[in-house]
Amino acid sequence: MRTCEPLLFKNRRIGETVFLEGYRKTGGYQGLEKALRDMTPAAVREEVKASGLRGRGGAGFSTGLKWSFFPSDDPGEKYLVCNGDEMEPGTFKDRQLLLADPHHLLEGVLIACYALGIGTAYIFLRDAYRQCAVNLEHAMHEAREAGLLGDNILGSGFSCEVHVHRSAGRYICGEETALLNSLEGLRPTPRSKPPFPAVKGLFGKPTALNNIETLANVPHIITGGAAWYKSLALTEKGSGTKLYGLAGHLETPCCVELPLGMPLGELVRDFGGGVWQQRSFKACLPGGASTPYLTAEHLDVALDYETLEQVGTRLGTGGVVVFDDRTCMVAATLNLLRFFARESCGWCTPCRDGLPLVCWLLERIESGQGTREDMTMLQEQLRYINGRSFCALALGAMGPVDGLLRHFAEEVEDHIRLGRCPLQT
Amino acid sequence: MPTLIIDNQTVTVPEGTNVLEAAKRLGIEIPHFCYHEALGSVGACRLCAVEFREGPVKGIQMSCMTPAKDGMVVDTGSAEVLAYRAQVIEWLMTNHPHDCPVCDEGGECQLQDMTVAGGHGIRRYTGPKRTYQNQNLGPFIVHEMNRCIQCYRCVRTYQDYCGGTDFGVLGSRQRLYFGRFSDGPLESPFAGNLVDVCPTGVLTDKTYRFKSRVWDLQEAPSICPHCSLGCAVTPGARYRQLQRRRARLNNQTNGHFICDRGRFGYGYANHPDRPRYPLVGHRRVTWQEALAAMQSKLQELGELFGSGSIGLLTSSRATLETQFLTKRWAAALGSDQLCFEAHPRRDFASRVAASQQLDRSASLEDVRNCDLAVLIGADPLSEAPMLALALRQAARRGARIVIVDPRPVVLPVAFERHAVSVDKFSQLLRGLGRPQQGDFSSSMEELGGSLANALLAAQRPLLIGGTDLLGPQGTQALQHAAKACSQPEKPCRTMFMLTGPNSFGGALLSANGPGFDSLMEGMEQGRIKALLCFEADPLADYPDRKRSRAALARLDMLAVFDCAATATVQESDFFFPTTTVEESVGTLINNEGRMQTFEQVFSAGTPLAESASGSHPPRFFTRDIPGSEPQSAWGILSALMGRSADLDALRREIEKNDHRFAGLSQLKANGEGRRIAIPSQHPESLPLNIASSIGSDQLQLLVTETLYGSELLSSLSPCLQELIPAPFVTVHPQDATRFKLEEGKKVLLGTPMGDLTLTLRIEGDMVPGVAIVPRLRGTVLEPLVPGTESLPCRIEKV
Amino acid sequence: MAMLLSEKQIAQLKRRVRETPHPREMVLDVLHAIQDANGWVSDEGIELAAIILGLSPLQVEEIATFYDKIYRRPVGRKVIHICDSICCWSRGSETLMLRLQQLLGIAAGETTTDGMFTLLPTCCLGACADAPAVRIGKTLYGKVAPEQLETILDGERTEVKS
Repeated sequence: MRTCEPLLFKNRRIGETVFLEGYRKTGGYQGLEKALRDMTPAAVREEVKASGLRGRGGAGFSTGLKWSFFPSDDPGEKYLVCNGDEMEPGTFKDRQLLLADPHHLLEGVLIACYALGIGTAYIFLRDAYRQCAVNLEHAMHEAREAGLLGDNILGSGFSCEVHVHRSAGRYICGEETALLNSLEGLRPTPRSKPPFPAVKGLFGKPTALNNIETLANVPHIITGGAAWYKSLALTEKGSGTKLYGLAGHLETPCCVELPLGMPLGELVRDFGGGVWQQRSFKACLPGGASTPYLTAEHLDVALDYETLEQVGTRLGTGGVVVFDDRTCMVAATLNLLRFFARESCGWCTPCRDGLPLVCWLLERIESGQGTREDMTMLQEQLRYINGRSFCALALGAMGPVDGLLRHFAEEVEDHIRLGRCPLQT
Repeated sequence: MPTLIIDNQTVTVPEGTNVLEAAKRLGIEIPHFCYHEALGSVGACRLCAVEFREGPVKGIQMSCMTPAKDGMVVDTGSAEVLAYRAQVIEWLMTNHPHDCPVCDEGGECQLQDMTVAGGHGIRRYTGPKRTYQNQNLGPFIVHEMNRCIQCYRCVRTYQDYCGGTDFGVLGSRQRLYFGRFSDGPLESPFAGNLVDVCPTGVLTDKTYRFKSRVWDLQEAPSICPHCSLGCAVTPGARYRQLQRRRARLNNQTNGHFICDRGRFGYGYANHPDRPRYPLVGHRRVTWQEALAAMQSKLQELGELFGSGSIGLLTSSRATLETQFLTKRWAAALGSDQLCFEAHPRRDFASRVAASQQLDRSASLEDVRNCDLAVLIGADPLSEAPMLALALRQAARRGARIVIVDPRPVVLPVAFERHAVSVDKFSQLLRGLGRPQQGDFSSSMEELGGSLANALLAAQRPLLIGGTDLLGPQGTQALQHAAKACSQPEKPCRTMFMLTGPNSFGGALLSANGPGFDSLMEGMEQGRIKALLCFEADPLADYPDRKRSRAALARLDMLAVFDCAATATVQESDFFFPTTTVEESVGTLINNEGRMQTFEQVFSAGTPLAESASGSHPPRFFTRDIPGSEPQSAWGILSALMGRSADLDALRREIEKNDHRFAGLSQLKANGEGRRIAIPSQHPESLPLNIASSIGSDQLQLLVTETLYGSELLSSLSPCLQELIPAPFVTVHPQDATRFKLEEGKKVLLGTPMGDLTLTLRIEGDMVPGVAIVPRLRGTVLEPLVPGTESLPCRIEKV
Repeated sequence: MAMLLSEKQIAQLKRRVRETPHPREMVLDVLHAIQDANGWVSDEGIELAAIILGLSPLQVEEIATFYDKIYRRPVGRKVIHICDSICCWSRGSETLMLRLQQLLGIAAGETTTDGMFTLLPTCCLGACADAPAVRIGKTLYGKVAPEQLETILDGERTEVKS
């Protein structure tokens, strides 16, 4: 069984939270100390860029590259916003991290702020993660007492304030510009880009946005170095470790930290305990609700950014959701689409009115009322919603529909031909 | 300046122009809902997709969100684009009720047009539709949410453009609701614009509900007559009834929008009390009889007392053509007793305003683009509402707005405020005229000086004055200040709010003619025996009503030509009904000196109505249209002078006669008008300011214009009635304490025009020592007219 | 209106609004405070929030009606959020939902007649490894089997009573 020395989960014991003392015992805040003591902000940015770290929130954009667009050296107000609106079904890694080890994130936030010349950070947490917020507030209190947060951190002259913001539901807040609107107390509909947040973000000021897991990796890159960090991945282009989620029809659903690029089958077998009830693997979402399905023929595919793109899907958040052979993929897709239609912010037409229409079509097909015309309409929806919406929500929403029509067209046809769901007993 | 190819045509556009606008320049209309020139691009509806074949952007993209770039090759009608747009329409129509047969928007509905154009003829979606409950949004707007296609135009107009905070977007996903927190009238005085911007029938004109199909309407480009800004409007009439007014685009003046006074003030044209027949001694006669009777009376008076015994008066409501012919007729009659405004102080303030360098005069577009606006004695929302909206746009672009005024002033945007009483204006203006100097003799002068420095430092500075509070002298001082705050490359522009839609025309024609004071003296002394009023109401508009009533009573003959039942009409010996703006053609010159012509929308006549009893209609027939007697004032004047009523010839004559009106004959009603290039001469003498002394137990009386109820014509509009406030007086909390007055209680206001019982309002945002009353026609406040020197008054509990 | 929050709480929120350069950013904090104190946000709650924030009620309502965890209708003493997203769906959340409706005698979106529970479907709670998950009040229950529900509800009832 392939495994690795955990970085983010090194202090994780289920049901327990490690605070400052425990965190420091295993090397906590050494990254911050090293950055403040030995490195210029530019050197920190360089190190992160060299590490090949890619955003863990879903889009997988290079963190170093993102930071290189940021006006780090400009004086004036700038913000870091940590995106903790973890609401994509099948994704629960950030919650695990904050439940286990909140200082991990805090250290990452502080190093990022130092690297980017930022004095104020916001951690945006979804409403459901109240315990995470409590943990973070406690960690911040400890950090402040220990001189790790606030004015003149560790005597370095670097000062940084962190605020935790409690949201009130809605998946769209995870879209970075919608999140900025939400933080500002505006309706959280996405903003048009350009201007990008790095130029004009929170309160009109340059703003860097990163996911929780992304930032939690930064201390390790600083302490271990970019080359070491990069070498942790199993694939050549990959870098570091990944918090994989394993959920759905598995014997032992869990969240586990493993080298980036784990083969799907190995992950399912060794860490998910295999498909439950001795059934067989039919399909999975490789990285959360918005990623097109993989099927049994993909079990040896490595779960990293590049490889998954080659097979027409995405690593997304790394939340693998497995479906067994008794699952109706039309019904599964309908469940996913109902989520996306419900979470649409209502700004643009394809998302607001297109996704409910997709739901209606899938409902008809699943209930046996579907016709050839409905199948045609479904294909049209895929064609016209993809890439034509204001933000990426609708694009993500159509991921499962894309997967359904690519891999399970026959199953859809069967519904129409039989006038009922072929998998319903 | 990027150059791009759209549908095989090349176009070069300014940097920053989006592809949708670039296509428009080629006459290519790309379908869209959410995009609006005044509201900008938001990329919500996704209908304006086009295909980019070459250049920096490729594939199907939204044309409103894509800035035009060099090398772009755009196809606005490829098969893929058309199919996609059809899909967008299908999405938008999934929940639409398809109730076009009972929808007022039918015929001018963008959704209807796009649905037909997009070929969406059959609804494939057969599921249940989402439905809403509507709200009562007050007297102007009907709400029908089921028709909504969520383009967000209404909320962007109401909140972003107009600054309203009581209408917005609620909910999310496919359950958005555009409305208020709870039922109730929309608070913004620009709410009516929702009717124009809504691309379907969600927000329609309540006053026009179920009256006509738009294709049955008579419409023509016209000008709003309810203030001096001259906003472009399109009135619509049917069955001899003026049924609505919409905003018309004029980028130099109102842009895309108008105010609610302008939109809903149209009801005066249909007013049941409107006098529609010629009257001699209050007896209905034919036009021939009336004209002959008046002519013979005039001749008699002329022979007995000489031509100087005839006085002539027009007003800012009269068109340039009417004003010009009145002047011609005065000359023909041999009378020099001609005046263009019954309110002398307003008259001379307009004359001063018209005498400035007109390249310094600011249009509303200049206001929208200014970076600093200093307003002295100006309350835009009351005196010229669209100026308030223009100031908001300037502020949204970062302009600083400063208001110096004794009154509580409200704007739909935050501004910097200095409460200064009118008697301090001269000090302030002295300082304002002396930028970059230090030796000020008072704090007020110093404030003026600091504002002057700011104006000098600004890139696009602007001074705005209300002539009612400034008076002629103040108007002059403001002009001097503007000159002092100007640099050759960046002049400090000025804008003055004047009395009415053609104050400027009257001022140009007045030259150094007499003011109405001198006509008053003539009447009082018996020199003037006859007064001919062309769309003028001296009884209501001369500030001292007792005096004007007594003077008019001494006349041997009072002839009135008007379209409304004014106070003066009631006293007339000869009455001639005239047409409204919408029933005739003419020219008005707005407050910045912009000549604008308007076209005839419909012919005057009593609106068709159902017979009240429900019985058979009367069984007699006539060729005459009931109530169609009103004629244009300039047409009547032509007839009186034995001329033919040839508008083109008249305009050429005006042009030829006075080169300041050059270009008049070329003007098109649907254009942007033409700025008068040459100012009139500065009046030789101005009426003196007579400051009354205010006793220690007295307050200064300040009469001001107000949004609804002050302006004559709109105050007659039935749908505005419920917005006209009950008569009230406003005082500062200090004075309330001093005179032991309570908010909302009745007080007795002792004025030179008599004692009035009014409701008290207390307002901290004003100067102490002043009692402010609005001009409210048809109420106890009727005799109080704005624009006068301050008078003393007493105030006490009832 | 003062009943919705204590005068002290109102003063505290007003102070925070005064102190921030961006008062609007406090809108969710104020709504959370009102909801935490009252269980939901009534029309009067919106009006109170508007006063505290210096906004119009409509401006607050625009935000309040966007978020699904701000309740604009009365809810029971405890809100039951049952996850209906993909992982919980794959492990029987639909059966749980039916069982809950039976046990409580209400449909989704309704409140029991005794005012104890409101049943609301919710999107992913971030407890995918513990699917199917239900959150009742502040407690998250994972790997819930239909037969456990009765005991869970009883426990929650007892907690409220004590």
